[in-house]
Amino acid sequence: MKQAHQHIDPPKWAERFFEWYCYPPLYDSIIGDLYERFDDNVEQYGQRKANRKFCFDVLRFMNRHTLKRKGQSKFYNNNMSILSNYFKVGFRNLMKNRSFTAINILGLSVSMAVCLVIILMINDQLSYDKWQANSEETYRFTHYDQNEVNIPMATVPMPLGEAMQDKFAGFEHMVTFRRGFGGDVIQNGKAIALQGYFTEPSFFELFSFELERGNPETALSTPNAIVLKKDIAEKLFKDQDPIGQTLEVGNKGVYQVTGVLKEFPGKTHIKFESLVSLSSLDKLEKNKVLGSSIGNWGNGSETWIYFKLRDGYSIETLKGYLTEAEKEHYEPESDEGKEFTLQKMSKITPGPLHGNQIGAGMPNFFVIGLGVLAILIIVCATFNYTNLSAARALTRTKEVGVRKVMGARKGQLTIQFIVESILVSILSLIVAIGLLQFLIPAFQSLQMSSLLEWELKPDLKAYLQFFGFSVLLGLITGIFPSLYLASFKPIQAMKNSVSNSKLSKLSLRKALIVTQFVISIVLIVSSVLVYKQIKFIVEKDYGFSKENILNVHMQGQDFAKFENELEKLPFVESVTATNNIPSMGTEYSDDVKLSDGDETFSMNYFDVDEDYISSLQLELIAGSDFIKGAPSVNKRAAILNETAVKQFGFESPLEAVGKQFYIENDSLALNVVGVVKDYNHMMLIMGIDPMMLRYDPSGFRIAQIKVAGFDIVKEISAIEAVWDEFDPNHEIILKTFQGEIDEFNAFFFDILYIVGLIAILSISIAGMGLLGISTYAIQIRMKEVSIRKVLGASVKGLIFLLSKSLSIMLMIAFIIGFSLAYMANNVWLNQFAYRTSFGFDVFLMTALAMVGIGIATIGWQAWRATRANPAATLRDD
Amino acid sequence: MNSKLGEFEEIVLMLVAAQHEQAYGLSVTKAIEKELKRSVTMSSVHTALYRLEEKGFVTSKIGDAEGNRRGRRKRVFIITSQGKIALKETREARNHIWDMIPKFIFDIA
Repeated sequence: MKQAHQHIDPPKWAERFFEWYCYPPLYDSIIGDLYERFDDNVEQYGQRKANRKFCFDVLRFMNRHTLKRKGQSKFYNNNMSILSNYFKVGFRNLMKNRSFTAINILGLSVSMAVCLVIILMINDQLSYDKWQANSEETYRFTHYDQNEVNIPMATVPMPLGEAMQDKFAGFEHMVTFRRGFGGDVIQNGKAIALQGYFTEPSFFELFSFELERGNPETALSTPNAIVLKKDIAEKLFKDQDPIGQTLEVGNKGVYQVTGVLKEFPGKTHIKFESLVSLSSLDKLEKNKVLGSSIGNWGNGSETWIYFKLRDGYSIETLKGYLTEAEKEHYEPESDEGKEFTLQKMSKITPGPLHGNQIGAGMPNFFVIGLGVLAILIIVCATFNYTNLSAARALTRTKEVGVRKVMGARKGQLTIQFIVESILVSILSLIVAIGLLQFLIPAFQSLQMSSLLEWELKPDLKAYLQFFGFSVLLGLITGIFPSLYLASFKPIQAMKNSVSNSKLSKLSLRKALIVTQFVISIVLIVSSVLVYKQIKFIVEKDYGFSKENILNVHMQGQDFAKFENELEKLPFVESVTATNNIPSMGTEYSDDVKLSDGDETFSMNYFDVDEDYISSLQLELIAGSDFIKGAPSVNKRAAILNETAVKQFGFESPLEAVGKQFYIENDSLALNVVGVVKDYNHMMLIMGIDPMMLRYDPSGFRIAQIKVAGFDIVKEISAIEAVWDEFDPNHEIILKTFQGEIDEFNAFFFDILYIVGLIAILSISIAGMGLLGISTYAIQIRMKEVSIRKVLGASVKGLIFLLSKSLSIMLMIAFIIGFSLAYMANNVWLNQFAYRTSFGFDVFLMTALAMVGIGIATIGWQAWRATRANPAATLRDD
Repeated sequence: MNSKLGEFEEIVLMLVAAQHEQAYGLSVTKAIEKELKRSVTMSSVHTALYRLEEKGFVTSKIGDAEGNRRGRRKRVFIITSQGKIALKETREARNHIWDMIPKFIFDIA
């Protein structure tokens, strides 16, 4: 033998690789042959070539004879039958432990149902514009206003598009949208509101919208041409052919229908009912029907511009031209200044929050927030499963032992228990899909759902996602308990003496439970606070009367005539006019100053008539009301609120009366005739700004009618009758003042609803988790309890003993959770001008909830344990 | 079971018989290289041996660890009686074909 070459070894990795794949019974004989051959080759060709040949041989040896295989038999494996056995045993085991199974499945399915809704919402959001052929290549211009809040605006000045086309040759298509089109169409004696955008013929080239009727090349080219969405066309014309028909749209003129759009194959972030040729805009702006946007670099809030570049032109070059345009058209550091940016169409919905969106959309932080919430909920439920299965392990030790003796390997046992957890999660999925049928309508009845046009209908793809989700969940939840179960030593397992030290190591499980409770305490406290805050807002004294006041929108009709008609009704106490309803988030303001050269400040105003103060029961603290029947005097009068008095720097309300001030851009001076006590004219989260009441009949858009309120239904129908006679063309828009404010507050109720639901969910999941772990913690101490009982321990003492450690845990969770909740909730509450207090009541409520849960879980289990017959537990020893 | 004997298998089987009770993967490989002047990979010889075992023409047992094998034992292959029959049958078939060749063909050479 050549001893000299004994020390040269073939490449280690190849040896290791061979060992990894080789079927063990063949390993020795083959690797021996390989070594022999290697040594020969070293002698014959040298080490390098021998190495190469060795590696080559190792690779060549891979075939069906030499690969590792499962099972004992060479060519038969019984994986399928063992798998079905796993399912069978798993199912029997679930049936055996009904209470555990119920807790597991209930906890998982409830949280799963919420996750499914969230998956649907996220799917819905992600479906936006995906059907558009150019969704990845289409961009729009956006801008940031200088010296403004840092939210980007989706709109840009209209001349930007043309300016860019002059500078840059790379545009394939560019589409300009301009808002402002809309108004009532009188059709068959009824007014139908129509909304839309001005746009260009290139619309049909850039976007994938198609026409069902009409020619896409010409439909939007001539002035006063209109293209309708299918549903609105059907609404307007019923069975008639819409093409060629004319529509008179509000004060915007007469339009001829040149096309009807096909139903869109998917959702789009561009929300419109109709499209009007951009060439119609010129006349409207000249006649001052609409504000100026053509060629106006100062108006950055009316126009959207979308475009697609030709192949080979880069978006980066365009950015350079945008910076150039900023410098050309805006003075540096001026208030008008804008910074232009770009946004890809596929990134619009869901996308970052933009002002002036072309349609309502959910900003992406909301989508991300929902996702985080889903993960949080599911993590809680996962903890439960892990805890409960680990707890249940005690009852499975014999089975594990027997299986191991029969030759089951650790991997097989792991798979067995993972299969069981997948079984649980699939069962939960079935329950969750059942729950979904109730959850979807509940979510869809939310206000924001209709605003954002949520479509939460699960399709086949969604069901597949659900299934994948539940299998994955089963896998994740099952991994820890199954590794643990599979690690039992057979003899110990059979003797039922699995080391208690291992099982009683509760630290991980305790940490999980504490985390769960911290999360749910934060959520409980938050929902209590959200509830308190909303109640506070709803019940707060606004400073004006809403009682028995009905709001009727004038819809362009003359207020004075309507008032005359109404005053004939016996139950009408007063009728007043205004341009705006207070506390609803809409503000009209002008810049005012005391005299020339003074600093101006922004002052909100309401255009009202002389009955306003008395109808709304505002408190006049100085001066007088508008004078009845003296419009010319009233037109030069203003009534301030206290904040405005302070802002002007008057010493007292009395001093303010009789003073004059000016509205910027208006040389006319207004006389302060009176001062009202501050009331909440802005939405309640805002506070009170300087405000004035002016007398301006041209602003009278809403009639506020105070009625006796004896029989409100009858009174409303009487007013409706008056309206129908007064204006047969328009449907009456009548709402109660209170109803209108409630509707505005409904958004807050939506949030309350969601937060409350999630809080209930998380607390029930956490409660179930605690029930599981207390059952388990007490089970392993049964012998101890029995011995103590035999020795004469009292039931009270035993309950105390058993619940001590878990109660301490609950307390720790409470302290951490409450302090976290305190910090987190103060952040959002401080955003409100009027906020509710944290208060002892919140603390007490949460604490009571915790005590209740503690008694229902730990206490109950401890009580049960102490009631058990000691003879039964001790018999075996 | 497929008990046909392939061409390559036939050579391997013959060599197993020739190296009586001494045949293992590498020895057969070396013999093919030496006797037939033909290069062959070790893995194909091994594969042929396993296949012969499946067909019942050879059996195997664990042998010694002689040689530069780092102490790994050989798998020694021994021809079975079924293998012997198969070998004889192919031999007869070949002889029969050989006999069909007219004698004068070799005379020209």
